[in-house]
Amino acid sequence: MRVVLQMRPEPDVVAAVINPDVSASAQEVSGEVPGVALDPDFAPVPIPQPVPASRAGDPLSLEQPFNFSMAPENASVLVRGEIQDYNIASRLAMLATARPDIVGISSDPVIETMPTCGGDAPVGDWHDVEGSLTDLRSEGLDGSGVSLAIVDNGINTAHLSQVLGRDVSVDAARSFKPAGTAAQFGQFPVDHGSMCAFDALIAAPGAALLDVPVLRSTRPGSTVMEGLLSDAIAAFAHLRTLLEAMPVEQRAMVVNNSWGSFKPSWDFPPGHPGNYSDNPAHPFNLAVTALERAGADILFAAGNCGRDCPDGRCGFTDRPINGANSHPRVLSVAGVDTRKARVGYSSQGPGRLTLRKPDISAFTHFEGSLAFGEGRPDSGTSAACPVAAGVVAAVRTRLPVQELSPAQMRTLIRRTAEDLGMAGYDFDYGYGIVDAPGITEALRRRQKNGRR
Amino acid sequence: MAHQPPTTLITVTLPPGSTLQDAMRRLGIASGEVDEEYGLVLVDPEQQSYALLVTEEAGARLQGARGGHGPHANPRMEPFGPPSPPGQDRSPDDRDDGGA
Repeated sequence: MRVVLQMRPEPDVVAAVINPDVSASAQEVSGEVPGVALDPDFAPVPIPQPVPASRAGDPLSLEQPFNFSMAPENASVLVRGEIQDYNIASRLAMLATARPDIVGISSDPVIETMPTCGGDAPVGDWHDVEGSLTDLRSEGLDGSGVSLAIVDNGINTAHLSQVLGRDVSVDAARSFKPAGTAAQFGQFPVDHGSMCAFDALIAAPGAALLDVPVLRSTRPGSTVMEGLLSDAIAAFAHLRTLLEAMPVEQRAMVVNNSWGSFKPSWDFPPGHPGNYSDNPAHPFNLAVTALERAGADILFAAGNCGRDCPDGRCGFTDRPINGANSHPRVLSVAGVDTRKARVGYSSQGPGRLTLRKPDISAFTHFEGSLAFGEGRPDSGTSAACPVAAGVVAAVRTRLPVQELSPAQMRTLIRRTAEDLGMAGYDFDYGYGIVDAPGITEALRRRQKNGRR
Repeated sequence: MAHQPPTTLITVTLPPGSTLQDAMRRLGIASGEVDEEYGLVLVDPEQQSYALLVTEEAGARLQGARGGHGPHANPRMEPFGPPSPPGQDRSPDDRDDGGA
């Protein structure tokens, strides 16, 4: 978090800041401030002290005439710096205690226009997204030979073929659906799952789509558009079995998950042994670990509970990135629009199973699949997640798990991300936006060093 | 008594290659108390942990059964999109009661 510190240093230091002929740095004004990285580019600013115009004035009221004193013994000085987001309230309290010459601390938010929110028109289209990924395509990285599982509410290949102008199919023999799900693979109503498949194919048009419509479960307790976590456990067990059946030198599977749990009331409370949201030992979180250990690259959407304009379904009052969406062995994906600005609904960290969530950001809120009709965007972190999953599938084209483990893949994606927001990691954008040029450059360096 | 749907998620530790019948025998569960369509799902081969769905009553009976764990939360999962416009809650209050 960027902060402005109002300090009252010795009068001679204030005098130096006030004097236009003298250049005083933030370091000279404040010295080292514990836990704060001072911004050396921000010239300290003198602030006059308001003094009641009348000697009998109320020293604590702003409702009176004032004179403003720039006398060094009265004035204060502003410096700027950054302080860690985690436990911000206690950090600020400790800071004020550690440095009595700090007389005020305030946040210094980036001044920006209203972020993109749910219901807003598309920002750009999928060709803009595709344009940012040309480096992958020119290296021949298109997802060929890679299994790309869309764990969602089903894919409609006829719709995808029509929008993309080419034949799209799913690998029905290796797809999975909960018992009792009526429709055939690739023939589900055009909806969220078709959007996810479309967005994954932007970077990985050669990947083999696996249709895994767990959100179409008809099990008691589920509804038309919701599955139960037990269905996802069964789906992940199926995917793990598939992966283990592949020859080791060909193992390459990416699993997209643009779904999650919105309400803590659907769960046992944190601390209960059966809890899901905060419990790495919940069976689904163990299933995620087992699938990753078998070699899958697993991506989860961060969720749509961002502070600026959360989805109306959000029930978590804080730390909405929960359960497997915050699992240490997955990439958790936040959303940015094609102007590279965070969309206001993209959930912010820290996560519940892992603090550093989201991991990365990817494009969303663009016109793409038309799954929700003409003029309506592919939106939510639901769209950002498959955009990133497609990039991971593209990287896997020539790098099976034997060459690059899922953990190494996550490191590659994080390390090459284009940093957005605050310098380094932050809870809005993670390590930054997935960056195709950065990835291809890293892969070239890898090859130079004698590896695939 | 009304028929209870088997939606309670439990896990059991069993040897590799175990079947639903093995799990039911181990946990003392009758055939009407388990979701046979869901079956026995291998969650984690390393821990030899299997999942199954049983009735709430059978799940409650398991407390302390050898190798049995649970009940575990089995919450609803929803797609993360499209996000609703600010101020619109698409989730009626009466949907707050399910899951765990």
